[in-house]
Amino acid sequence: MNGENKILLVEDEETLAVGLEFNLTEEGYSVVWAKDGKVALVLFYAQEFDLIILDIMLPYVNGFEVAKKVREKSPQMPILILSARSGVEDRVKGLELGADDYLAKPFHLQELLLRIKGMLKRKMWYKNAASIQPAYSFGNNKINFENLECFTKDSQIRLTQQEAMVLKYLIDNEGKIVSRKELIENVWHMNPDIETRTVDNFIVRLRKYFEPDPSNPVYFKSIRGTGYMFNAK
Amino acid sequence: MKKRGSFFYHITVFVVSQLAWLALLGIWIYWYVSNYIIFKNVGEKLSPGIIYNGTKVFPFVGGIVLLVSIAFGMSLIFRHLNVQLRLNKLYDNFIANITHELKSPLSSIQLYLETLNSRPVPAEKQKEFINMMMKDAGRLKNLINSILEISALEQKKIVHDYQIYPVDRLLQDLIQGVIEQFNLPQNSIKIEGRVDCECMVDKNAIKIVLNNLTDNAIKYSIKPIRICIKLKTLFSKVVIDFSDNGIGIPSSELKNIFSKFYRIYGANIPNVKGTGLGLYSVKEIIRSHGGKITALSEGIDMGSTFRIELPVYNEFIRKFKKSFPVNIKKKELIEKTENNI
Repeated sequence: MNGENKILLVEDEETLAVGLEFNLTEEGYSVVWAKDGKVALVLFYAQEFDLIILDIMLPYVNGFEVAKKVREKSPQMPILILSARSGVEDRVKGLELGADDYLAKPFHLQELLLRIKGMLKRKMWYKNAASIQPAYSFGNNKINFENLECFTKDSQIRLTQQEAMVLKYLIDNEGKIVSRKELIENVWHMNPDIETRTVDNFIVRLRKYFEPDPSNPVYFKSIRGTGYMFNAK
Repeated sequence: MKKRGSFFYHITVFVVSQLAWLALLGIWIYWYVSNYIIFKNVGEKLSPGIIYNGTKVFPFVGGIVLLVSIAFGMSLIFRHLNVQLRLNKLYDNFIANITHELKSPLSSIQLYLETLNSRPVPAEKQKEFINMMMKDAGRLKNLINSILEISALEQKKIVHDYQIYPVDRLLQDLIQGVIEQFNLPQNSIKIEGRVDCECMVDKNAIKIVLNNLTDNAIKYSIKPIRICIKLKTLFSKVVIDFSDNGIGIPSSELKNIFSKFYRIYGANIPNVKGTGLGLYSVKEIIRSHGGKITALSEGIDMGSTFRIELPVYNEFIRKFKKSFPVNIKKKELIEKTENNI
């Protein structure tokens, strides 16, 4: 499976890039290395990639800018930020700009490989799910799961891939109670014991986008002590 | 309200405090004048015979002096606050840079160790990985040393090993070392001009200076590196012009680059590595030798020139005879120098 996946590695530290390239190649991925933000964008526009591993402190164009530009062209591209900057502000900024995951340096090799595997798995699941049902409407909202564009009553927005995946999962389970644990396991593909508050943050965002009154949700209802339930009517 | 600690927040506080002060001054003058009139009127009514003795200038002037002093104090505090804010900003930059500089080689070393520990690696690759780890360990060592050296330089704990060297031979020797250390082509650094004089320097300290300047030239150059060192004497000084073909320095930044923790950020900067300590350390070393360093640049993509001025030996001794143990006969020094080079 890995042999089909092509990774763009954006890292200015040569010693680290060589080691990462070796390990990713050993895992069966095809790796293209860009040593600065400018080269990364040129490669991204010229070639097809399945995932991007992105450093933040890069010459010419920093990682945040790269992530932003990648998102503009390809909303579904999985981006893993791998950075020495581990502060909360940097993490939040990276995730807000559309990165799907954030791993601080120094990191454990196995953890990095598992995260990459998980991201590619999620991408595959989403691709399959979106091809079965590429568009969906509820209330005054229309969602295109292929380009992640949404038309709400008042505006037009573009979801991040993670938001789209949460929404897709809830829609697929319409009328059923979906627990936080279930979402973490099936959307994030992570251990549910780690963090379930992340789910709440995503639900808040979805309510803000789609609910007429986010403080009194109609579509994304909280089920006390259990999780959430989506209801289109 | 603006974020506490931001520059605009402090500007706002300063403006508000100045307004408050002006209002206070106005109230004080109003209070004084109105009370003066009341006292005068009451005095005249109660006892017309008493001669009212002038305007009582002292409390009036005293009050104004007090208020002006408060305003002056506030301005002084504001000035110091600005300096502190600037230092804090530089310190934050330093912490961010140092974090990057420490974590990057550490990540790389950890990655190679975990790789060697977790999967079979061909012998050839193992050797490559070990070389990479050594390179990163060296980088960490240099970083730690540079921080410790700065600290020692600032606290004047470094005792330089001053010796007398013929400048030509000293520079040729040091440049050869730089070429080998940075693995540069032999013709990438050339020395132009000859000077027939001597300088009293710490060879290792001057080596650090040349290493830092070369490292910067490499980091901030897109093209293959070309360095030209021009030598000349000017009055009682040796002038060493160290020019590179790098991206240059904007004229507005020429003075700042020698400040502690200072780094230039921009879209045309080809390298993000560094701590902002290199040129500061260079400046401190040159200063401790009784010399000075300045930077010149024609602008972006026009390269940079660092001009180092060092006192010629005789002048140096005259100027710093109290600072250095120079009661050695010159002949002995020359012999010592020849042994050193």
